[in-house]
Amino acid sequence: MTPLWPVAVITFKEGIRNRAVYGISLFALMMMAVNLLISDMIMQEVGKVSVDIALSSISFLGLLLVLFVGINLLAKDLDKRTIYMVLARPISRGEYIIGKFLGMVLLIVVTMSILCMFAVASIFLVKMRYSGYFPRFSWPMIFLSISFTTLSLILLSALSFLFASFASTSFISLILTIAAYIIGHSMTDVKALVEASQSVGIQVAPFTVKLVQIAYYIFPNLSIFDIKTQAAHDLAIPMSYIFWAVSYGLVYTCIVITIASLIFRKREFP
Amino acid sequence: MIRIEGISKEFKEGIGSKRVKAVEDLTLEVHKGEVFGFLGPNGAGKSTTIKILINLIYPDNGTCSINGKDVRDRETRRHVGYLPENPFFYDYLTAEELLWFGGKASGMSSAAIKERTDQLLTKVNLQAARKRHLRTYSKGMVQRAGLALALVHDPEVAIFDEPMSGLDPIGRKMVGDLIMELKGQGKTVFFSSHILSDIERFCDRVGIIVGGKLRVVDRVDSLLSGGTTLEDIFLEEVEKAGGGATV
Repeated sequence: MTPLWPVAVITFKEGIRNRAVYGISLFALMMMAVNLLISDMIMQEVGKVSVDIALSSISFLGLLLVLFVGINLLAKDLDKRTIYMVLARPISRGEYIIGKFLGMVLLIVVTMSILCMFAVASIFLVKMRYSGYFPRFSWPMIFLSISFTTLSLILLSALSFLFASFASTSFISLILTIAAYIIGHSMTDVKALVEASQSVGIQVAPFTVKLVQIAYYIFPNLSIFDIKTQAAHDLAIPMSYIFWAVSYGLVYTCIVITIASLIFRKREFP
Repeated sequence: MIRIEGISKEFKEGIGSKRVKAVEDLTLEVHKGEVFGFLGPNGAGKSTTIKILINLIYPDNGTCSINGKDVRDRETRRHVGYLPENPFFYDYLTAEELLWFGGKASGMSSAAIKERTDQLLTKVNLQAARKRHLRTYSKGMVQRAGLALALVHDPEVAIFDEPMSGLDPIGRKMVGDLIMELKGQGKTVFFSSHILSDIERFCDRVGIIVGGKLRVVDRVDSLLSGGTTLEDIFLEEVEKAGGGATV
């Protein structure tokens, strides 16, 4: 048996039993109730608002999972030296990182599936009460949006592993991961803004343009996984877009985890 | 068999460039089937040497091998059981799951793990607490769970860093019995301690390390043959090294 699996299993168990996961689930339950309440208060576009609230909620809760449970899973290993019990086995540092990451992926997928059930239940209840407000609605788009969010969280988690592979404290990993999340979601807009300004005659320093363009290609473009608006309005997404987005997410994740394990190989645990 | 050849290790102290020598040109051999005690005051370099043996840190110079294999080869650790000083484990795992991990990661079958888990948890007196999360364990219980984890894959070489630390007299006796049992099975045991009586009781040979340098390596019986005590020898070595360490 490859040593990755036992590491993944204990990582998943440690993560899923964390009280923060219960907190996230409780929060999801509250969001479901809020969705029902808000739907009662607004008089138009109930369907779109309800889908938007449900999808935004699980996207936010998924982010909390990565930031506060995921980062801790690795950071605690380093801070409390629980990593000794793993590395004392015939497991290399690279395998440790990959195994740990697989456990985290499992945790994200399982938690997102639970959150997905809450989201689906809330949308379903609103749809039952106000079926007239759901003229353009499709469940596959809802599931596609949640799958894309899951993929973006996996990518973000890979980045947090990369930061933890060289950062000295979990706080630095947390700050860097939040920064990567913000940059990842706004880079497309910033690039468009910088480039569009030039086309209408507004001067932007060439250095700034170059810097933004370089950052655009280095940082992950998380905005491509955000299809909540399309899901709320049931706008079609071409198959080619899905294919490229999934490929981009998987390839980027693999590259980041490979770099993290290469850096980790040099690390010592005194 | 454990072979340490001329290892040295320096650590940076703080932000500045000041470096501290944790271990200096240490050469040592522990024979198969031997119980070897690694004695030294706090900060002498015992844990650093052990961590180099487990490949948790890399030496600046020198090499280490266990059973003829370089410790940098992960396969070496398939036959090594390690108990860290003040072990910490995952809060939400149970002792049973901890041993499952240790067994699986060492390539054991599920049936073998189950049998060995029953055996070991009985031995370390954790049978009743086997399904409890480790976060609810007392310090002594964590130490005992760590011992069970170190031995789950029936290693040929056991390396314990301060195995008696945090244990009550019953726990200490249990660890002593375990060490003697391993010796009876022909296993090699290398353990560090600064408790002289433990070394006297269990070890065939002892190495005294002070200030990162190995000062004495000898059989315990020959060291004590002239009527001197291990405490006298230890304090003399600390004195020679210019340290005022307390035992």
